[in-house]
Amino acid sequence: MRPGFLLASGLLLACVTASAQPSSVSGIGNPGPSAPGEWTIYPGSYNSQRHSPLKQVTPANVGQLQVKWVYHVAGSRELEMTPVIHDGIMYIAQFNRMDAIDARTGNVVWRYQRPPLATEPYRGTSVYDNKVFLATSDAHLVALNAKTGGVVWDVPVEGGRRLSGMGPFVAKDKLIVGVLDQPDGYIQAYDPKTGKHLWTWHAIPRPEDPEFKTWSGNTREGGGAIWMSGSFDPEQNAIIWGTGQPNPPYSNEVREGDNLYSDTIAAIDVDTGKLKWHFQTTPHDQHDWDATSGTKVLFDAVYQGKPRKLLAQLDRNGFFYLLDRTNGKFVRGNPFIDDLNWATGLSPEGRPILKGDGAKPSLKGTLTCPSTAGATNWPSTTYSPETGWIYFHAVEGCGVNFRASVTPGAGTSYIESPEEAHRWVSHIRAMDPLTGKRMWDVTEVRSNHYGPGMLSTASGLLFAPSQYGQAEMLDARTGKRLWHFNTGDFITASPITYMLDGRQYFAIAAGTNIFVFGLPDAAKGGAK
Amino acid sequence: MRPLLLSLLLAAAATAAQAQSDNLFIGNVQAVQDGKAVYDRTCTACHGPNAGAGERAPAIVSGAATAMRGERSDAQLLAVIRNGVPGTAMPAWKGRLSDTDILKLGAWLHALRGTALDNPLPGDPARGEAVFWGKGQCGTCHAIYGRGGGLGPDLSNIAAIRKSTAISDALTKVEHRVYGDGGVHLPMIPAMNYEPVHVVTKTGASLDGVMRNQDAWSIQFMDMGGTLHSFDRGELASVTIRPGSIMPTDYDKRLSPDEFRDLLAFLTRQGSRPGPRAAGVE
Repeated sequence: MRPGFLLASGLLLACVTASAQPSSVSGIGNPGPSAPGEWTIYPGSYNSQRHSPLKQVTPANVGQLQVKWVYHVAGSRELEMTPVIHDGIMYIAQFNRMDAIDARTGNVVWRYQRPPLATEPYRGTSVYDNKVFLATSDAHLVALNAKTGGVVWDVPVEGGRRLSGMGPFVAKDKLIVGVLDQPDGYIQAYDPKTGKHLWTWHAIPRPEDPEFKTWSGNTREGGGAIWMSGSFDPEQNAIIWGTGQPNPPYSNEVREGDNLYSDTIAAIDVDTGKLKWHFQTTPHDQHDWDATSGTKVLFDAVYQGKPRKLLAQLDRNGFFYLLDRTNGKFVRGNPFIDDLNWATGLSPEGRPILKGDGAKPSLKGTLTCPSTAGATNWPSTTYSPETGWIYFHAVEGCGVNFRASVTPGAGTSYIESPEEAHRWVSHIRAMDPLTGKRMWDVTEVRSNHYGPGMLSTASGLLFAPSQYGQAEMLDARTGKRLWHFNTGDFITASPITYMLDGRQYFAIAAGTNIFVFGLPDAAKGGAK
Repeated sequence: MRPLLLSLLLAAAATAAQAQSDNLFIGNVQAVQDGKAVYDRTCTACHGPNAGAGERAPAIVSGAATAMRGERSDAQLLAVIRNGVPGTAMPAWKGRLSDTDILKLGAWLHALRGTALDNPLPGDPARGEAVFWGKGQCGTCHAIYGRGGGLGPDLSNIAAIRKSTAISDALTKVEHRVYGDGGVHLPMIPAMNYEPVHVVTKTGASLDGVMRNQDAWSIQFMDMGGTLHSFDRGELASVTIRPGSIMPTDYDKRLSPDEFRDLLAFLTRQGSRPGPRAAGVE
């Protein structure tokens, strides 16, 4: 058992004053903030590569992987949550609730529950300065002592609106949170030590913002929900975040213009909350294609002979975007699905070139590929610096988008296409982000919808669970299936890996349970 | 309008068992159609088409709505329509709509929400039962209370779990599966849809059957003789799953109009409404 954990179990509550992790952050080469073997923030590292340096479990021994423990999150519902790990403790965050678990045994260490029990999706937390953070359903933001679960501070959210289920994200001594789109989304920063509100960035521009003009007349209804966390680039001193769709989502005739900053990747100065640059993936969206999908993967590579600082985004609209993360300029892109019917490609600036009316929703129903559910969605992608490839879940197939009437702004809905040729099928894909070349493609059996995220390891594994409940390990080079375990419930969360007492573990939420896998005792350290 | 809804409206023409409601428009086909028209000009902008959730207001009839808030009675729904929901954008419609229109709206929502038992189709159920076991040969693959085959879904309680339109569609349309609304996760991993499968083992045996489940490593199916199999894929030389169903979907043609009507009358009454929660051991 780790010393830090002993301290906690001894209930020596002086740990409220435990020293903070260094607030200085390092470059992308040393991604931070997680210590070796830990996972202290939703994407694991600021660059959201989700690539672990851990090597104990390898393609050669992964076949021996077994369940080490299961923790049932009683009262929860289809968890979309990624646990975090620090100092031997796993933190399972929900609205109003935090469960702290001994990451070695699965035994609960403490539990915080503020009434009422809430089951809306909540995606995780960050460990920072001996604190963990969560939002409440009555619009508060709470910091808990990571060792004891005691409340360190509890503040009402500035503006009075409830925070979204995006996991609170710590970057450069700022606690970053977001709100949904009724009426408009925004990102906020708080002081993690005190809960003091520091800044708010509005996804829908105020009248003084030059992009206010990208909305017609007085029909500006808002949108731009902030429901997924992004990345942090210390070199640009910026958080890089995705925003949700404009409102009303499917009836764009009542909001002429590009409707910034909806469906946008935004780089925001972490100190001031000011926008540094933005790139909109779906201007004038009419299909609810939030730019919140996947993870904003930051990586450096030589592209066309020059070293570049890049950002990779697999978008819900079916296109892959490679951007220069110093200025948000489009570098290259490609469709990452085969069935895409609303655009013919991307312009040199990265703007979708619409096919006709871009599959506008209609009274009789418009076939739309990908569907509103998206070619991919919020579950995490992963980028392996070893292969140089990006890995992701892609959903082929189409939806049918209806509108209720011809009245401008009329309500709408969508369904999965009933045509067999357009039914949804989930794929696990590897792609070279510098060329768009598909390196391999695994068609999932039965899984047909977004759900699980994935991670890669330095030993060449891809932990890519499937929607229909299989925890699954693939060879990152070939896509070959190496190991699987049937968890018995939907997986709609992203996995993590961590090292504790000399053993590498993998964890994933399936249904209402957390499953943790590791090698058998005899095989521990067998990666010689 | 989607075809599904049209069939549903026809289904609502049937005599409905509505002892528990004082809304006399329930089960009246014209009133249900009128209620749909009231809905379309009054409610869609917020609640979406077919009351299945819109941009500004929740679903009234979907499974998701039921899961979130519990099933509301017809009387409770009418009260919400008449009085609104304080503190939300839902206004009181009493005074804005005539009470007749509100009751017709309630009748339409009832038809949308109910299963076949609430809206059984017209015909002679006894003659329909004879068609089921006789000319229709339904019992070859389907069982009712232990009689019949096990290859297809058990139909003992079909009218309590499916709408009349879904039952009618299953007999007449190739594409008849009930799809989710796309944006809502199913609460559990669904069973397979009984696709026909042809399997050849590495030892040369050949089997035909109907799918029960599969994953990337294994397959489960029932062969035509009614035996369940579970194979590792490594044991199999080939697996061929054909999209669709072995069930014919031309019953409206292979049966006479009267026979088909009576079969629907039988199936849309087959089952029993769940009773109230009984007292007992907790």
